[in-house]
Amino acid sequence: MFDAKSIIDALVEGDEGKLAELVRAALDRGVSAKQILNEGLISGMDIVGEKMENEDMFIPEVLRSARAMSNVVQMLTPLLAEGDVSVAGKVVIGTVKGDLHDIGKNLVAMMLESAGFEVWNLGVDISPEKFIAEIKAREANLLCMSALLTTTMPMMKKTIDAIAAGGLRDRVKILIGGAPVTLKFADDMGADGYAPDAGSAVKVAKAILQ
Amino acid sequence: MDTKGLSGTQYRPLSEEQVKTIHDAALTILERIGFTFESGLDETLEMLEKAGAKVDHENARIRFPRDLITREAANAPRRVVLFSRDGKNDLDLTENRVHLGTGGAAIRILDLETSKSRPTTLQDLYQLGRLVDRLNNIHFFLRPCIPTDIPQAAYDVNVFYACLRATAKHVMAGVNDVEGFSRVVDLASILAGGREKLKERPFISIITSFAISPLKLCTQSTLIMQEAARHRIPVALSCAPMAGSTSPITMAGTLAQLHAEQLVGIAICQLTNPGSPLLYGGIPGMANLRTMGYLGGAVECGMMNAAAHQLAHYIGVPNYNSSGLTDAKIPDAQAGWEKAVTTLLAAMGGSNYVHHAAGMLESMLGVAYEQFVIDDEIIGMCCKVLKGIEVDAEHLALEVIDEVGPGANFITAEHTLAHMHDEYFEGNGVSDRKSRIKWEKEGAQDAWLRARQIVKQILSGEEKTYISEAQDSAVRQRFDILF
Repeated sequence: MFDAKSIIDALVEGDEGKLAELVRAALDRGVSAKQILNEGLISGMDIVGEKMENEDMFIPEVLRSARAMSNVVQMLTPLLAEGDVSVAGKVVIGTVKGDLHDIGKNLVAMMLESAGFEVWNLGVDISPEKFIAEIKAREANLLCMSALLTTTMPMMKKTIDAIAAGGLRDRVKILIGGAPVTLKFADDMGADGYAPDAGSAVKVAKAILQ
Repeated sequence: MDTKGLSGTQYRPLSEEQVKTIHDAALTILERIGFTFESGLDETLEMLEKAGAKVDHENARIRFPRDLITREAANAPRRVVLFSRDGKNDLDLTENRVHLGTGGAAIRILDLETSKSRPTTLQDLYQLGRLVDRLNNIHFFLRPCIPTDIPQAAYDVNVFYACLRATAKHVMAGVNDVEGFSRVVDLASILAGGREKLKERPFISIITSFAISPLKLCTQSTLIMQEAARHRIPVALSCAPMAGSTSPITMAGTLAQLHAEQLVGIAICQLTNPGSPLLYGGIPGMANLRTMGYLGGAVECGMMNAAAHQLAHYIGVPNYNSSGLTDAKIPDAQAGWEKAVTTLLAAMGGSNYVHHAAGMLESMLGVAYEQFVIDDEIIGMCCKVLKGIEVDAEHLALEVIDEVGPGANFITAEHTLAHMHDEYFEGNGVSDRKSRIKWEKEGAQDAWLRARQIVKQILSGEEKTYISEAQDSAVRQRFDILF
């Protein structure tokens, strides 16, 4: 019998040592890496994401859980067969040109990674051209853009327009966020989704890719 | 009661010993850890290197010897005066003299008619300026919101124009770039009657967020800061680390990092133009650890902002900081207590130029017309605390006590008539002190509604303009004014 609950608890508590121990013990008992990943770790991160969205958890605690997750995933990776892991999506993420803020954007990247997305985090001050080049190179199906400043928000629209002009708009969904961004703003500029925080970003990302 | 420039020495969150410890820690940070930078600052780096800083170009790191930092801090003027245009609200920022006013770059405002949150416009900025012009306890007008209805390239000149048209109080704002700065100086020079007159009485000043915490120079803002120093336009060196995300979670660690960041800004300004006027602009804040957003109304913000003044005062530089933020979304009870506590602490701490102190809601994202009226009342009460209790023969009133005699009353005494308007704080009318019967008869209004009436009364009154027709046509000939 696979005890997913204790793995989930250790992950939510961010207890890295205990989590690794539990995962190792499960493997020793013959539980498959796939089952540990899907029933234990991903379920655990779903809870973390929900707590984060409800503001029930401090972000440093969320990150501690994400780090614990990524460490045990490294343990499991060699044991996973092809097809065991379904990639939720290929994401290119960055802060728009002129804006140097990255804390929130990095949180989103980390939460997406924990939820099974393949993520290319480009950093800050990313021009429309750079976004376009990376979307092409990575064959991404989701672009996440962030802006913290009211003065750089219009750059999101410029980037979306450039993507449309480059003929990529139907290949990639666009999700935007950042403190001053609103749903209305996202709708007005033609984004596919808006997330007010990193916890809900994962949900929105999954929804718009369906 | 004139509430400007009273002395705030009543609250000292740090002991003298603790101030020295934090100052010393900041020097250690600059010597050992240093600052990082982005491209585009070659001349600035060269200037710093010449002055003795060690620049590691490969790893983008500048380290500062202690004596360089202390020498340049000593060059900064101890006294900075921010002028008004009518002379009624000149702000002498020395020692522990306290001034409070507006600030921020809000993008949302509660609509005066619908109470719903909507984007801020250039018209809002102008009307808020008119309102603040008439609220006596708000000592200066730092643009509290962004005109989201005009193109970004038009911000700089139009923001200053709307503010300067609406009020004679000192006007401060940020600019987008160095070109924007020169346009704003040109605009202000036209209104001053020449560049020299503006230099004599700078009635505008600039904010630059030169540092991105932790310990990084922002190229664009550093260049603007240096340009302001060259023109001797007073500049507030804004840096706003958030405890827990962009500075250590602990208050002492946040203050040490913030002080280090300020010392670098001051050194750059003084090396650029020795003696140029500036404000120490450390704004210690806190991250909301549940969202990573900015936490506005925390009591620790009040404590740390008072401490920031102590650090500025220690190196003899006037300071710019923050109070009166709240995480409440409407002018409710939470807004009231958070604003009252942080503003009282910042004022009692002797902060020289406290922005955000009027109008803000939703941390830094929103403003409301009514909130400016409520905060004018809070500021007035805080300043009254600074005034203290006068104890002299006239105020001890022994003669009157004798004259009135035991068992009588003081209601009709001359002494009562002589002092009743200055011994106690008289507000702007927003505080309800009526009987319940009267209050119910007048619609049982809460503070928000009472404030709204005052706003409407002021805004429907005479529209005073502080830009003459001749100045206006000169300005419009030169700039694209969208107002």
